[in-house]
Amino acid sequence: MWKKYLIIVILFYFFALLQNSFLAHFNILGTAPNLVFIFFCILVFFENYPKNTPNFYRTIFFAITAGLFLDISSHSYLGICVVVLLIIGFSFKKIQVLLRNMEDNYPLIYFLSLFSVFFITYQFLLSVIGFDFRFLVELIYNLAIATIGFSVFKRLLNVQKVQN
Amino acid sequence: MARFKNFYINKKNTGLLKILGGAVVFLLLLFILNSFVSPIKNLFYAVSYPIQKTFWTAGISSTSFFGSVWSSGSLSKENDNLKNENQKLLAQVATLQSIAQANKAQSDVSESCQDTEFILLMVGVVGLDANDMLSINKGSSDGITEGMPVINQQKVIFGRVYRVYKNFSQVMLISNKDSVINVQVQLPATFAEDSDEPKEIDGIVRGKGGLSAYLDLIPISSDIKDSDVLITSSIENSFPKDLLVGTIMNIQKDDQKSFQESSVNLFMDLKTADNLFVITNYKN
Repeated sequence: MWKKYLIIVILFYFFALLQNSFLAHFNILGTAPNLVFIFFCILVFFENYPKNTPNFYRTIFFAITAGLFLDISSHSYLGICVVVLLIIGFSFKKIQVLLRNMEDNYPLIYFLSLFSVFFITYQFLLSVIGFDFRFLVELIYNLAIATIGFSVFKRLLNVQKVQN
Repeated sequence: MARFKNFYINKKNTGLLKILGGAVVFLLLLFILNSFVSPIKNLFYAVSYPIQKTFWTAGISSTSFFGSVWSSGSLSKENDNLKNENQKLLAQVATLQSIAQANKAQSDVSESCQDTEFILLMVGVVGLDANDMLSINKGSSDGITEGMPVINQQKVIFGRVYRVYKNFSQVMLISNKDSVINVQVQLPATFAEDSDEPKEIDGIVRGKGGLSAYLDLIPISSDIKDSDVLITSSIENSFPKDLLVGTIMNIQKDDQKSFQESSVNLFMDLKTADNLFVITNYKN
């Protein structure tokens, strides 16, 4: 079990480095994908997959790990992103529980709409950029990367499910 | 008071107390963590530097590879060379104009506080965050202090050192939303000294985020054109004079306003920003 968490921490670290160095060169209108945030949303979304029993302790773990890496690799104070991700993580879980029925099979459109709402919330809370055209480009860019991440992650989980 | 009297510990209240207790402990922990923010960030960058530098260099190589694919072979390289050459020439023009103007008595005072002989410290770029903050691989142990200007070899201004840690620093790019620098429009080479037109057109360049910036506070009466070159001015003294900033494009002129605005095509280019220079002897 601890190996899974260790891998998650390493992946967050890897994504934090990747988005601030390699992906900085692949910016569109100065915007680059926020891999840490995307991975955080995917983890929170699939956190209780395939059972519908949300575990908020895991959400806290994901928020603290992702938030700390975002804070360390930015110029802000430590803890700002942690708090923002905690708010987003809990809201994500709460809305997921409220909206999803027991037979739900985790559709992409459901993830993308939730992701969009929380990406806007994240940007708004951090006041990184204003709601302009560039923000739209940033959202679309992040949605594209999130879709790829979502498909990969879902496939991995399905393979795991079949093996179990 | 009566409400507190009736507050007894049941299962629900215990849950509430746990949440409150957790929140207090969490905030306390964050407060303590922030007391050690400098060593924590320094350690993170020291550990990550080799990986991050590799990623950064790989990013430069990949973009130039894809760029050259798009532009059919050597066009991209040739364009970069021409761009560099052009920037060098523009820097020379700026220097020559500055020398000519320095002979005038009225500019002696402002010129006296400008150092033309810079002491430069070469730094490697390792990262860029979403707020247009660049990370460089040298810090206080190398003599870097906050506020030092950062340029490239063609005297193109990138920004100023914003935060300094022991082994690395963060540079606020001129495109950062909090960045404001005083600039002036470079006089054309054909400018006549006895012309009736004002010799200097001053304005400011404000960062817009997303590696872009715009020109502001140019008087409506001033005659500026697309492709005019912007250089740093000595009004504010936070940057040395005559550093290259960018060119003017998309001028927005509204007669009902006192000032005109325009976008700025910044000279700073991340594709060529593997190594930069910090001016260590410039005091503002």
